[in-house]
Amino acid sequence: MVKKLITQDTRMFLTGNEVIAYAANAAEAEFMYGYPITPQNEIMHTWCKLLPKTEAGFLQTEDEISAGFSTIGGILAGKRAFTATAGPGNVIMQDAQSMAEMMRIPFVCAVMQRGGPSTATVIYAQQETRLTCFGGNGEGFRIVYSTAGHQDLYDYMIKAFNTAWKYRFPTFMLADGYQGKMREPVTLYDPASRGIKMVPVEATLGGANGSRPVNHVRNTFNLEEELMEVLDKYQEEFDRISPEIEEYLEYKADDAEVLIIAHGIVARSAMTAVDELRAKGIKAGLFRPITLRPLAVKPLRAAVARAKQVLFTESANGQLAQMVLEKIYGLQTPYSTLFKMGVGVTGDDIVQKVESMVKEPATV
Amino acid sequence: MARTRIVLAGEGGQGVQSIAKILVEAGYEAGKEILYIPNFGVEQRGGVSIAFCQIADEKIGEPRFSKGDIVIMLSDRAIDRCCTYVNENSTVIYDSSVCSKKPECKAKNIISVEANKIANEQLSARVFNIIVLGVLLSATNVLKLSDIKNAMEMALGKKFDAKPELRDLNYKALEMGMGLIEKAGV
Repeated sequence: MVKKLITQDTRMFLTGNEVIAYAANAAEAEFMYGYPITPQNEIMHTWCKLLPKTEAGFLQTEDEISAGFSTIGGILAGKRAFTATAGPGNVIMQDAQSMAEMMRIPFVCAVMQRGGPSTATVIYAQQETRLTCFGGNGEGFRIVYSTAGHQDLYDYMIKAFNTAWKYRFPTFMLADGYQGKMREPVTLYDPASRGIKMVPVEATLGGANGSRPVNHVRNTFNLEEELMEVLDKYQEEFDRISPEIEEYLEYKADDAEVLIIAHGIVARSAMTAVDELRAKGIKAGLFRPITLRPLAVKPLRAAVARAKQVLFTESANGQLAQMVLEKIYGLQTPYSTLFKMGVGVTGDDIVQKVESMVKEPATV
Repeated sequence: MARTRIVLAGEGGQGVQSIAKILVEAGYEAGKEILYIPNFGVEQRGGVSIAFCQIADEKIGEPRFSKGDIVIMLSDRAIDRCCTYVNENSTVIYDSSVCSKKPECKAKNIISVEANKIANEQLSARVFNIIVLGVLLSATNVLKLSDIKNAMEMALGKKFDAKPELRDLNYKALEMGMGLIEKAGV
């Protein structure tokens, strides 16, 4: 049993990477596996710095392929284990992440997006949105939380462990280099003080010395139909549990004529923009999906249907927009886009774009 | 002012992020809302290093902003990169003893300081960035000198205790930096 460092509410001034390490400890995580890649290195640095006090474990592997599979190994053995990665590291960890989907392993991973494709920048992007939701050779049986600041990082890192262990789908906390590297105040707390009980963990393959029957988890199948039988069941289960998992945030969206759809840190810039636009008499609002997998489709469709226009804005070329457009098929609300590939979106950017949309409405 | 947006840019290795950290720590300890994003490439040294800092009385929304209230440029490449963060409400401060050119951007004020020259000739090359911190403290005028000194103590206290003359040197650099802005009359 690890020792928990945060026993009462503690206000701290931290980088996001530090927050994630503290959150994993608060969630009673026992082991981290990882391989360094900017901008998420300080997650493992902080985790390791805290080890003498937490008595948890850490293994630095030779690459992210190994980090992913080692994490799976730790979890199979019954440890609340996790990993973190970014950019090209996230790319080469897809094999392990797919295995976690297939074998229903409660894999937890923090992704701190950086610019892409390839090495690109070490700073920031939202270009791993599609990869994190649908990477690997499969169907995206994954749960993905997209955070928008340090309090989110703490809250959702804790939640990711419980979601993963309760539903046994790999669960990701999708953030970005800004959130990893930036510093802002945050309140750390003991999950128990918020009524959060950690889901108990156990070895996947059975109990030691026959204390529980052997459990055979497969990722190899002989026949096509045999595979589809399993995947159909997964899909049915994923759809069934989705309403319990879906999360979203609406900000002044009730009477919004221009509805901004954004996730993560860009949604936070959008909130600044909404306030500025409202002060200028423009009825703007925000729909922020917090879970990107699964998307909260019903409220999303309702918000889009209410609005006169929609603006998609991302630090990517429409990765979220593509996912959303599929889900709002059939609605007639026209939309416009503000995409900055690998670059932060500011409140001003959004204000100017929405003002231009009011002058010259979108027609698409 | 409810929110002060600062862009602090120079070459990697000039100590830009070090003073940004002291500044935001001072702001946090003074009870302000703070948001700080370091921005740099893969190099250990060289390349443009930018610190985006916000100090506010109320909770901060957007992490990145378009235009800074105070934009400090400490190298030619920083000038090239950072004019995009300047508008007619910005105060631009650049080090004319490092830069070979003047920033050509539409700003409220463009002020030149010679922090590098002063550091080399009067103090020590190592406190160049602390002089800039003094410049920043005066130019932003939202934090007190004592806040910065406390934050310096948190960051450098151990070094100061080992070598007390370092404390005096850093304080002197800080005050000389503040004096540069007072002289410019911002």
